[in-house]
Amino acid sequence: MSTPELITPGSPSPCGCPEYAALSRRGLLRGLGAAGLTWSVGSAVVSAAGPAAAGAPTAAATSTAGAGSVLVVLSLRGAADGLSLVVPHGDPAYYAARPRIAVPAEKLLVPDGFFGLHPSLEPLLPLWRSGRLATVHGTGLPVVNRSHFAAMEAVEDAAPGSTERVGWLNRLLGELPGSSPLQGLAAGRAEVPTSLFGPEPVMGFRSLDKTGIAGDDQWDPHGTRVRSLERMWKKSPTPMGRSFRSAMQAVGDLEPARAQADRSAAYPDDDLGRALASVSRTLRGDVGVSLVTVDHGDWDMHTDLGTLAWGRMRREGDSLARGIAAFFADLGPVAERVTLVTVSEFGRRVAENANHGLDHGWGTVMLLAGAGVRGGYHGSWTPLGSGLDADVPVTTDYRSVLAEVVAARTPASPAVVFPGFQRQRVGAMLGQ
Amino acid sequence: MPSPYAPGRYRSTPTLGGGARHLALRFSYGLTPELVSSVKRAGGGLAWFDAQLDRPYDAAADARLCDWWPDLHLDAATIWKRQVDGGRGTWEVMADYARRLLVRRMTSSHQVHEVMTDFWESHLHVPANGDAQGVWRSSYGDVVRRHALGRFDELLVEAITHPAMLIFLDNATSTKAHPNENLGRELLELHTVGVGAYTEDDVKASARILTGWRVDLWRTWEASYSQKDHWTGPVAVGDFRDANADPDGRALTRRYLRHLARHPATARRIARKLAVKFISDTPSEQVVDELAEVYLAHDTAVVPVLRALVRTQEFRQAKGQKLRDPAEDVVASYRALGARVVAPKGGDHAANAVLWQSDAVGMRPAAWPRPDGPPLHGDPWASPSRALASMDVHWSLAGGWWPKKGVTWQSPQQWTPELPIEFRDLVDHLSRAVHGRRSSRQLLRAACEAVEARPGERITRDHRLIAWQFNRLLGVLLDHPHHYHR
Repeated sequence: MSTPELITPGSPSPCGCPEYAALSRRGLLRGLGAAGLTWSVGSAVVSAAGPAAAGAPTAAATSTAGAGSVLVVLSLRGAADGLSLVVPHGDPAYYAARPRIAVPAEKLLVPDGFFGLHPSLEPLLPLWRSGRLATVHGTGLPVVNRSHFAAMEAVEDAAPGSTERVGWLNRLLGELPGSSPLQGLAAGRAEVPTSLFGPEPVMGFRSLDKTGIAGDDQWDPHGTRVRSLERMWKKSPTPMGRSFRSAMQAVGDLEPARAQADRSAAYPDDDLGRALASVSRTLRGDVGVSLVTVDHGDWDMHTDLGTLAWGRMRREGDSLARGIAAFFADLGPVAERVTLVTVSEFGRRVAENANHGLDHGWGTVMLLAGAGVRGGYHGSWTPLGSGLDADVPVTTDYRSVLAEVVAARTPASPAVVFPGFQRQRVGAMLGQ
Repeated sequence: MPSPYAPGRYRSTPTLGGGARHLALRFSYGLTPELVSSVKRAGGGLAWFDAQLDRPYDAAADARLCDWWPDLHLDAATIWKRQVDGGRGTWEVMADYARRLLVRRMTSSHQVHEVMTDFWESHLHVPANGDAQGVWRSSYGDVVRRHALGRFDELLVEAITHPAMLIFLDNATSTKAHPNENLGRELLELHTVGVGAYTEDDVKASARILTGWRVDLWRTWEASYSQKDHWTGPVAVGDFRDANADPDGRALTRRYLRHLARHPATARRIARKLAVKFISDTPSEQVVDELAEVYLAHDTAVVPVLRALVRTQEFRQAKGQKLRDPAEDVVASYRALGARVVAPKGGDHAANAVLWQSDAVGMRPAAWPRPDGPPLHGDPWASPSRALASMDVHWSLAGGWWPKKGVTWQSPQQWTPELPIEFRDLVDHLSRAVHGRRSSRQLLRAACEAVEARPGERITRDHRLIAWQFNRLLGVLLDHPHHYHR
């Protein structure tokens, strides 16, 4: 077991942990209980202390993560067609079922004997070539669920049978030491996604520059505004009360993030680009963020999924690839700590419909990028069926992929984060 | 010793009793002095509510209400032609649509009708921001408004076969060779019976039934019925069965939709949504069953369900438990501040700018990106980013800083019923005017902290509070938990 990122040469901090030096004072005071110590000094201690380690010593033993690991979950909303993003050119049923919208084999990027990437993913090739981009095909919910809303909720709860409304990322937060509301961050939207919903405090913002408390300014030198707000909200038992308190606690801690250069011009000029630019800036500010969720788009392509010459897949794929590429480039050295994984509620059917599109299906592809990723094509493949109703079979429960990321990059126990689930090895993360 | 923060009692500013205030808050976009007096004039909450429901729908009056955006009267082809020719884009016209919704909610005296229009627009959601359906969206909104207090079966037939819906959920280009499943599926999942009450075969049959309803996209935008695109042959969706032999499937579509509207699963789905919207985020199964029965017993008419809902014990006990969504928050803030909004003359005028404020707090009306409509329960809106954004908008409004044009804000002198006045009495007056209820010790103390005043401090004409601090005091009222909840 090793923790390569932990002891940074020339670290300014006497304890040898760069995160200590970079944390804001308030974040430091809050984050450092005994558990904070175990997290920050690495997996050796984690495996012997704290509730996270107690449940799964083997998980901690295989972790390649150092302190300050960050997990970014990118939701491809609307059910992304995995067969377009990562094309199984070796399966003849693919071409038979999609006479108009199949991606020609000769146009695929980095093909192996079976898979190849959609040409719009070209900006991701540097990540691929450096072995930091992986795909897992045939992933999804174990049972077919073609409802966008029910399926995404099931994916984000990741606790089938439980009636508690707690998302898997909120459970993961509970397993990580520290209680700063900045640990869990929802970027680019106003509402809390199901994955982050739960008892642990979380933070969200649509733009990092809009994270101040109105009225808490130079015209209020005595801090009367904040004191008055605290008076009104400190005892409110409502969900809004909790969010209010989180917000008030978190805004000051975001100062080092706001102080970072805004490099959004290097990103695509769209919602995903803006969100990822804000996330990168926040992570560069090193304010104690462990988990981030980002929503992306408009993958519900019943019509006009299109071809390489036109259509929605080309556009969304381009936005996705350019956004992710810009994100890892912008992170600089922080990229060494960041792992990004995509999820979608389900995939599309194998056969194209009459509108250059695809109706609701089952299995899809997950992409993993960044720290700890074992690059390449993963997942086991069952040959595609023919006929209008054929689905991409799910051969890998999506939780196996996420559990591998959790095991590889955090001190948490996958068994707690995904209750009742026995994960299968995927091999998309190093050390797993 | 009595607490120094014993609240004042400014009795000449009227409040509503708990039950009446509760009803008025749930079925309006926020209290105003006019609403308070109309509830009092009606003789209480239930009497006011029944009078609102008894009011016949007046399409002409509704059409005149805040009719300040002429492009909303353009037909689909013209809206599109202007976009192509480089005039106003469809998205700008749709921004006008959302603005009109906001201002109607702000100003209409028929608040229950506005609230129910909002409810059905969300239930049969067609996002306004999208070039394709956008050209038809204003007309779609008129259909929903017309049926907002009518019968669901009629609303469903008109909404599902409306070009805006046909375009949004891809039915407008569906063919009999390979029916597009999008609308047929969401009709079952979202608009009627719900997940678990249908099979994949039902989805396929549902899509087949709906084939034939076309729109000539990107050209004339005309809606038509195309017999050659209609799939014929026997169909079965649950217990609905039809030989479907007629090449004109329109009558079949109507039979099918009316059947779905009357399905017990639909009744429960509508009843549950109404209960979540108007009672609490977690209504009991019992109240859902009860309302579903009323719905079925009255042939899908909505008004009897609402009358029953407000008379349940569960409703009466659910005071103050619903979080306002972002658009409700912004509209309620304008109402609470007594803002007078007039026809806009520029982009920075209030009737236009209010849209960006709603967006900043988290949602524009009719802009939710997915077909399921925005959440009716509070949790998703109870986020830290919402808290920051709400505070930001409240602060701008309390100071009258943005927007400044096309709106009249009350001056500190107008807010103050008399001068001089004890600070605690002024706070009580404001609490009555803005929250519709007496002040509390906690509110008084927060107000004292915000402006560094003592409870018994005498506020005179030239007191700093009147001269330059009044926005801080209004900020306390708008950022109080009472104002966030309805």
